Amino acid sequence: MKASRLLLLLVVLVVVAGAAWWFLRPRPVVSDHLTVYYTKLDGNSLGTWTVSLRPPQPGESAAEHLHNVALYAAVQSIAGPPSEVSAIRFPPGTHVLNVLVNGSTATVDLSKDVAASAGGSFAENGEFKGLVYTLTGISPINAVQITIEGRKVETLPGGHLELDTPLHRSDW
Amino acid sequence: MNSTRRFIGRIGSAFALCTLLLCGSARAANLSYVFQNQTLMFTHIARTAAGSALGVDDPAFRSLLKSLGATLTWHPGERYVLISTPQPLVINFAVGSKSYDVGLLSANASFAPFLQGQEAFLPLDDLLHSLGLTSRSDGSVNVLQPQLTSVDIKGSGNQAVVVAHAAMPLHPRLAVNEPSRLVYVFDGVASSIDGIRQVNVGGIRLLKIISSGSVRRPSTTIEVDLAPNARHGAPRSNDGDFEVAFGGSGGAPPLVNANVAANPQPPSPSVAPAPVNPPAAGATVSAVTVTPSNGGETVTIAMSGNATYDWHRLRPPDNRFWIDIHGAQLEGGNKDEAQPDPLTSLRIRQNDAQTVRVALSLSGPKSISVSPSANGILINIGNTDAFDVAREGSGTVGNVVSANEPQPLITPVPADEYGQVSNESAWKFGPQSSYVPTNPRLIVLDPGHGGGDRGSVHDGMQEAVLTLDMARRVEALLIARGWQVKMTHNGDHDVHGTPRSKAEAEAMGYTSPDAFDLQARDDIANAAGARLFVSIHANAFMNSGPNGTTYYYYTPQSLPFAQEMEQDLDAADLGTKDDGVHKVKYYVVAHANMPAILIETAFLTNPFDRERLASSSWRQHIAEAIADGIDQYARAHPVGQAQ
Ligand SMILES: [Zn+2]
Repeated sequence: MKASRLLLLLVVLVVVAGAAWWFLRPRPVVSDHLTVYYTKLDGNSLGTWTVSLRPPQPGESAAEHLHNVALYAAVQSIAGPPSEVSAIRFPPGTHVLNVLVNGSTATVDLSKDVAASAGGSFAENGEFKGLVYTLTGISPINAVQITIEGRKVETLPGGHLELDTPLHRSDW
Repeated sequence: MNSTRRFIGRIGSAFALCTLLLCGSARAANLSYVFQNQTLMFTHIARTAAGSALGVDDPAFRSLLKSLGATLTWHPGERYVLISTPQPLVINFAVGSKSYDVGLLSANASFAPFLQGQEAFLPLDDLLHSLGLTSRSDGSVNVLQPQLTSVDIKGSGNQAVVVAHAAMPLHPRLAVNEPSRLVYVFDGVASSIDGIRQVNVGGIRLLKIISSGSVRRPSTTIEVDLAPNARHGAPRSNDGDFEVAFGGSGGAPPLVNANVAANPQPPSPSVAPAPVNPPAAGATVSAVTVTPSNGGETVTIAMSGNATYDWHRLRPPDNRFWIDIHGAQLEGGNKDEAQPDPLTSLRIRQNDAQTVRVALSLSGPKSISVSPSANGILINIGNTDAFDVAREGSGTVGNVVSANEPQPLITPVPADEYGQVSNESAWKFGPQSSYVPTNPRLIVLDPGHGGGDRGSVHDGMQEAVLTLDMARRVEALLIARGWQVKMTHNGDHDVHGTPRSKAEAEAMGYTSPDAFDLQARDDIANAAGARLFVSIHANAFMNSGPNGTTYYYYTPQSLPFAQEMEQDLDAADLGTKDDGVHKVKYYVVAHANMPAILIETAFLTNPFDRERLASSSWRQHIAEAIADGIDQYARAHPVGQAQ
């Protein structure tokens, strides 16, 4: 009698522990949205907007999904927030040629239109801060390498911000 | 890459099969349209039972995008086909998903984009619609008409700006120019937003949008009726948008009472969309809050659980909006609240057993965007009037994804992790830098730009000229105070370091050996073992707003130097705004071994700042303040002690 009670207690404990594990187990998050950052006209503070993501397709691997999301993030960031939002924006015509994610580094290849910045470090700083914050908001990306038409550059022509090594959030 | 190819193959054959079996036979055929008096022959066409699909590599489609100023991003194997328009607007079609986005709005296409071979095919009608184009038949010919997609009136009281946007850059002609009436004609542009709008802002009384012309030669007219003594500027083009500024006091009292009817219960939508994937677990709406943002307001619907939603808005002058959240329960009961402009009232109801409805009444046809957030739904209400906007949309909250693939994929980093320090520290020196200058009396001054690089140029004023002038003034002052000074360049020319061959540069991924100009400046300071490095610049922006003096540093050892400089320039009372000390990875301050700062003295593009930069006495004044900053910092941080 006593042994069977003990057994029952044990079973209950196992069930409770199992249920607790089931509910508390760390679950990976499938995000259906993306936060896109832009730099406000004070040249420093960031604003965000949100765009929706499609659920992954059957057969779409984690790496493929990450690539798709990173590309989407870069295109949104380069386009900037809706026109009624005051933001530091990339020069008109700037577009994303490609994005490659390798480990935790995303390489964003931009069209040469990006070089037509209005001059001054103000615009350049704001443009890339928004882009780097947007991409590093996607796990596991924590660094962004910029290339222009496939080439690394020290900075933009006549520029200030260092582009020849990957940028991190901690660079601001 | 292999897996990408396999993926394409799998999806491609799956969709080809689907197209053949379910959607009727897929066969290539051409489709031709007349656009801007030219014939566009689409050759990458696949026909399905649900409509025609257009391949993204179609040459005529690419040339259409080019004439719209739009760019397309897609490579084989990628899920999203992304089109950026100059507005700016990102249009997002996803292979295998009917749902597509145009800016912040989502819509459903007649069928999902699919792959055929290596090429993505998009639903043609939805694609054209998303680009602001409408197909009209003119006998045997299909004509693509660019549509006037929005006319906004921004401003209040005595000031207003009318902004018209279309799929194409707008080139209006002023057909009537009378004191009480202006008529702008947009040739080649059609409109589906005809109407008359009572305005009474900035001297504008009425705005009329009238479309006319033929299918092949559409035309749209914007007529502005003005109050007596109203003024107006010349129309200008802003990224293809048409803008005219108006000024003047109001107009007649409103003809149409824009206030909301007494019973703000919106009628049921004529087509009630059935909730997609009604979630079994359901969701709870726990709170609805309203916060001001950017002159407008944000309505936050706090929710837990999974739900689908759809939203609707009525046509002006009925400015009501509602959102139905399906599979949701309301906590805390129904609620009615009056709200400040632009929102006039807010109603929250458990509309039926499974639906929570949040209804808003607005003070005008305000722009609205709806987006899911981590904790529910955000409704952003702008402070500008938008004439033609989407009238309905839908979305999902939580994890309403197809039930059978709970794959892990993207974990967003919380937005509040600003300034987080990455594990891969990029510092050359830790906070306790052991840098000891071999030449403690030497200061390196770096006049920004020079030679082939003019820096910012505005209205004939060149950054490179100003920075060299200011640096030379600092140099003279420092020498008079007993310092040694090295300039990275003391003439208006480029700074070339160790010559590097073109081959070496290219091996490193650079375009030319000239690309090492900034490193050469640091090399000068590092090789000389200088005490401090100061780079002097003038800022610029594409409009005249931003102004002030900014201090940039990168390495931790440089922060106290930047702060000292800020204090001394503030004390000198230069008249420019203090924009603060900021850490940014600017090349010259990131690669100098010693404490290094970059000063953006003032903005060439701001009239107030520009007047200062143009004055030699002001440049002398700032040079003295910079020399003071160097003196003060050096005194407070003697060599051999912690920097
Ligand atoms: Zn500069």
